[in-house]
Amino acid sequence: MDVAYYPGCSLHALAHEYDLSTRLVCERLGINLQEVPDWNCCGATAAHSLDHSLNVALSARNLQLVDYIKMKEVMTPCSGCFSRLKSGVTELQKVSVREEAEATTGNSLVSATDVKVYHLLQLLTEKVDHEKIEELLVKPLQGLKLAAYYGCLITRPKAVVQFDDPEQPTSMDRLLQAVGAETVKWSHKAECCGGGFAISQTDIVVDLGGQVLEAARQAGASAIVVACPMCQANLDTRQRAIEAERARNYDMPIIYFTQLLGLALGYSPKQVGMNRLLTSPNRLLKSMSA
Amino acid sequence: MDVDFYRPMRLNYQNNALQDEIKAACDTDVERCLECGKCSGGCSNAHIFDYVPRKIVQLVKLGDEDRLMHMDALWICVACHLCVDRCPSQINIPSIIDYMRQKAYRQGIRAERTNIELFHELMLGLVKKNGRISEAPLTISFNLKSKQYLKDAGLAPRMFFKGKLNPFSPRVKDISQVRRLFIKNPRLKEV
Repeated sequence: MDVAYYPGCSLHALAHEYDLSTRLVCERLGINLQEVPDWNCCGATAAHSLDHSLNVALSARNLQLVDYIKMKEVMTPCSGCFSRLKSGVTELQKVSVREEAEATTGNSLVSATDVKVYHLLQLLTEKVDHEKIEELLVKPLQGLKLAAYYGCLITRPKAVVQFDDPEQPTSMDRLLQAVGAETVKWSHKAECCGGGFAISQTDIVVDLGGQVLEAARQAGASAIVVACPMCQANLDTRQRAIEAERARNYDMPIIYFTQLLGLALGYSPKQVGMNRLLTSPNRLLKSMSA
Repeated sequence: MDVDFYRPMRLNYQNNALQDEIKAACDTDVERCLECGKCSGGCSNAHIFDYVPRKIVQLVKLGDEDRLMHMDALWICVACHLCVDRCPSQINIPSIIDYMRQKAYRQGIRAERTNIELFHELMLGLVKKNGRISEAPLTISFNLKSKQYLKDAGLAPRMFFKGKLNPFSPRVKDISQVRRLFIKNPRLKEV
């Protein structure tokens, strides 16, 4: 299966391990990723906060590049980018919006509006048979009790995204179960971590992220599994601030779902970048091999 | 402009112009509101909003642009979209908030109690310059410009040693294509 790949800015810096593990897992599952050439930042969340036309134009250039390399489907592992590209297509399907964006970008966008946008989790759920993953399983994740955390933008707004349930999603739980892990039932799987406010309004992240950590702890999870670089960064980099605020020691590893899939498919912890997480997953990984 | 946040909301300045404007721009009809409050019950940040989603819908009905453009909720909404997905009438509150924020920005109304607007401007400044962003330079310039010099001083070394901070600025090769998008949309203010 060939699919265009839009990594987004975070996967080239902060979330390098998400990029690494995404590429490894896709390769093992026979998904051929072709990186969108010379892609630009999707603009989240600044562009759609201040200027609607600029926001649409930034997405339009990316979608046009997907069309330029003759691909009909594009996948991104970042929920922010996913939300922007997906709503970009929806916006560009309105003729007046498309014509304005065509004048701005200087390119025809007619066929770009046919591009189908997938989040990586959605691609692995809808396009890959879970039985195939089970066949390729090398190291089952036995003994791991995980909280699958989806955040906001993978499943909402449902009218635009049309994937899984907006508040009680199960796709990541099923993927993790397919590779032998146990997932907990918990209240905050689709609540917000504070999103793009990690730098600009850190107290909101400490507040909302703290609720997510606490809910996962109460459900008995030993790690939170994420599918978004902002969820990972917020819960991992602000964990010490959350611990200080709540006077409780969480020591909760925040791991990308692709890193765990990668382990299960036979890659080493180093290959999937486990060493790059701030809250060390070493104790968790040891409990797995025991 | 000073806004009296304690001014009671009254139907006597009923004005349909804003309602019609929102209907056209956001494809959403506030007249369909059932006043059930599910939007505010689900709202991630209702506990710190000055106006919760249900009140925002009411302000649109009242045509109270003044309050809508000065409220903190414009800037501290996390856009989690719980309100719209819970609304039995599909009223697109995030879209109303986006629309009112952009309108306020065009009129030069700044966020009063947060630096979030400054962050957006700095981020888009980097996108205009390089086409892509990396977190380290953005964080440094934000913390300096918002005068929070030591804010992430403890975190930065931990992230650096994990290889999470990319000191190089990534760039789009054909940057003229990206700058063109900004030139054609000149509303962004340089900071």
